[in-house]
Amino acid sequence: MALIECKEVSKSFGPKVALDHVSVNFHEGKVTGLLGPNGAGKTTLIRIINRITIPNGGEILFQGRPITQADVEKIGYMPEERGLYRKMKVGEQAMFLAQLKGMSRADALSALKDWFVRFGIQDWWNKKVEELSKGMAQKLQFITTVVHRPSLMILDEPFSGFDPVNADLVRKEILRLRDEGATIVLSTHDMGSVEELCNDIALINKSKLILSGDVQDIRRRYGNDNIELEYTDETGRHTEVLPRETGGNSTLKSFIDRGVTVNSYRELMPRMNDIFINLVTGKEEEEQQ
Amino acid sequence: MNFRNIGLVIGREYNTRVRKKSFLILTFVVPVLFAALCFLPTIIMMNTKEETREVAVVDRSGIAMPFLTNSDAANYYDYSNSDPDSLKAELDNLHKDILVIISPIDSSRSVSVQTFSKKPAGVDFSESLSRRVSNAVEDYRINSYDIAGLDEIMSSVRANVKVQEYTLGADGKETVSESGIYMVVSMVLGMLIYMFVAMFSGMVMSSVIEEKSSRVVEVLVSSVKSIDLMFGKIIGVALVALTQFALWILLTAAILGIGGAAFGGKILGKMADPAQQEQMMEMATGGIGVHPDLTTVIANMDDSNSAKVILTTLGNIPWGTLLVSFLIYFILGYLLYASLFAAVGSAVENEADSTQLQLPVTIPLLIGFFIALMAMRNPYSQVVWWGSMIPFTSPIVMLARIPYGVPTWELVVSIAVLVATFVLCAWASAKVYRAGILIFGKKGTWADLWKWLKQK
Repeated sequence: MALIECKEVSKSFGPKVALDHVSVNFHEGKVTGLLGPNGAGKTTLIRIINRITIPNGGEILFQGRPITQADVEKIGYMPEERGLYRKMKVGEQAMFLAQLKGMSRADALSALKDWFVRFGIQDWWNKKVEELSKGMAQKLQFITTVVHRPSLMILDEPFSGFDPVNADLVRKEILRLRDEGATIVLSTHDMGSVEELCNDIALINKSKLILSGDVQDIRRRYGNDNIELEYTDETGRHTEVLPRETGGNSTLKSFIDRGVTVNSYRELMPRMNDIFINLVTGKEEEEQQ
Repeated sequence: MNFRNIGLVIGREYNTRVRKKSFLILTFVVPVLFAALCFLPTIIMMNTKEETREVAVVDRSGIAMPFLTNSDAANYYDYSNSDPDSLKAELDNLHKDILVIISPIDSSRSVSVQTFSKKPAGVDFSESLSRRVSNAVEDYRINSYDIAGLDEIMSSVRANVKVQEYTLGADGKETVSESGIYMVVSMVLGMLIYMFVAMFSGMVMSSVIEEKSSRVVEVLVSSVKSIDLMFGKIIGVALVALTQFALWILLTAAILGIGGAAFGGKILGKMADPAQQEQMMEMATGGIGVHPDLTTVIANMDDSNSAKVILTTLGNIPWGTLLVSFLIYFILGYLLYASLFAAVGSAVENEADSTQLQLPVTIPLLIGFFIALMAMRNPYSQVVWWGSMIPFTSPIVMLARIPYGVPTWELVVSIAVLVATFVLCAWASAKVYRAGILIFGKKGTWADLWKWLKQK
C-alpha cells in the first residue's frame, strides 16, 4: 500500500519548470530511491511532500487522503543542506527540534536519552554543538530526524559528509527502521547504496518522472537477459557469458554433462549506475535529435 | 498558524538571547553609563570647585586690580612692584599658579593681558579674567568722559531682554515653560526609539542569517511553517527588548537611588545656588552633546526662578501619553522594520553580504532620525508633520513631536497608518522570507526579492 501518492504534481518558479506532472507512489515499509541528476527536481518534490513548497498543480495523498500540516509531524526530513544551531547546547537543541515535531517534553526527553545511549553520545548532552566533532554532529542530526518515530522518513543524500563508520551506522538504522514499518525515501547519487538499500526507485530527469518501480524488475528489464557461468576443466578456470534460455537449465546441464566443474551460475544484471547514465544521457540525445 | 510551534520558536529565541554574554553586559553597562551621565557633571563640578588658583598680578595699568576680587576659583595677589621676569622664575617659590601681566593703558584707551603658567590656565579662568579686566576698562572709559552721572546713565542703558515663555492650556491656564527642556526630551526620545528599532530589528536579521548560514533552516521549516518561524523570531526578540528595557529602568532607578542617597545632600546644596545651577546646566547639556543654542537658552534663563521654570516645564510635558506612545511606537516601528530586515536576512548567508541589501531599509530609518532632529528645533514645520504621518519615519518623528503636544486625531491616524503598513510589509516579507531561506549558495539581490514576492 502506498503511504504517499504524488498525483500529477507540477511546480514552476517563474518561467523555470521544476516538476512537470510527476506521479509516483512511495510504498509502506519500503525504501524508495529517488534518483535523478542535479537540478532534476528531486529536492522540489521532497519539499512539496514536506509542505515547505506549495505545488502549482496536482496533489499529495498521505494514507489515501490529501496531506495536511498535521501529517508533517509524521515525517522525518533530513535535507541535503542541513545543520544545527552552533551556539546551542546539544540537549536543548534536540529537545527543541523534537518538540517542534509534536512531542511532549517528557516523551522527547526519554526518547532522546535512548537514542543518545544507542549512538554513544550521552555525555554530550550539555556541550555546545560547535564543540562537537563532525561525526558527532552527524549522529545528532540523524537522531533529530528520527526521534519522533516518523512513519515517513525522507533522507536527502544521507551519507554525504558522513565518515564510513557513521555512514554504516546510519545505513543499519535505516534498514532497522524500515523493518519496523517506516516508509523511507532516499534521495542520493550513490548508486551503490541504491542497489544495497532500495526496494523501489523513482527516476526524475528534467522535471519529469522517467522510470519507477521495483529495483530488481528494472535491472532485469534493462539487462540483456544473460547468464554468467564459471567452470573449471583440465585447462583451468573459465568464465562464459551466455544468453539465458527461457525457463531451462539445459545450458547448465550441458556443461555438467561435459564433465567440467561448475563453480558459479548467476543471472547477469546491469548496474543501477549504468541504467541511470543510459537513461539520463539517452534522453538528452533523443531531445537533441 | 500553529501557536504551539510559534511558542517553541519564541522560547528558543528568547532563552538563547537573554543568556548571551552581550545581553548581560549591555543590561548592566547601560544603567551604569546612564547614572554616570546624571551624576558626572555634578561630581566633576564639585571637584573642580575645590581647587582655587593662586594668581600673581602685575598691574601696569593701575585700573584692573580693584576688579580682581578673590573668588572660589582664584585668589589674586598684587605684585605690581615686582619685576615680571624674576616673577616668572620665582612662580613656584611664591606658591603661585599663574602670573598675570596687565599692560599700561595704551593709545586706544585699552589694555592687553598676558598670562603665564606651568599648566594651561583654562578657559573658565581666562574668560573670568577677560570679563573682569573688560569691566575695569569700561569703567575707566566712562570715568574719562568726566560727565556727571554717566555711570548711572550707562548702567540704566544696558539691556538684557529675557523671553518668558508661557504655554496656554485648553482651559486657558497659562503655564511658564521653557523650549530648551522640550528640545532635550524630544531629542532623547527620538534618539532612543531610533537606536532601539535599529538595534533590535538588526537582531532579527542576524538571527535569520544565522539560521541560514548554519543550514538549520530547512530542518526547521520541515516542522514549522516559515511564517510561524518568522513571527516567532520577531516576537522572541521583542520580548528580549522589553526585558532589557525593564531591567534598564529598574537598574538605573536603583543606582540613582543609591547614588542619590549618598550624594543627595551635597547636590541639593549646590542646586540652591543659582550661579552654580547655571553652570550645572551648562555642563549637563554640554556633557550629552546638546546643540550649543540650547546651552545659551538655558544659560539665559532668569537665574532666580530657573528651577521653577524647569519644573513647571517638566510638569507640562504629557508624561503618561509619552510613555504609552513610546511603547506603542517602539513596538509598531520595531515590528515594521523587523519584518523588513527578516526579508533582507533571508536573502543572504552572512552578515557581510547583507550590508548592501539592507541599505534601502536603513535609509528611511535614518531619514526619520534626521527629521526628528529637525523636530527638536522646529516642531511645527511641514516636513516634521509629514514625517510623523509617513509610517517608515513616524515612530521616530512622532516621538520627537509628542513633548510639544500632538492632537489625538493625529496620533490615531499616524498609528493606524503604521499598523496598516506593518500588516502589508509583514505579508510581503513573509512571502520573500519563505522563498529566500531555501535558496543556498547565492547572494540575493533586490531583483530576486521582487521575484520571490511574486512567486506563488
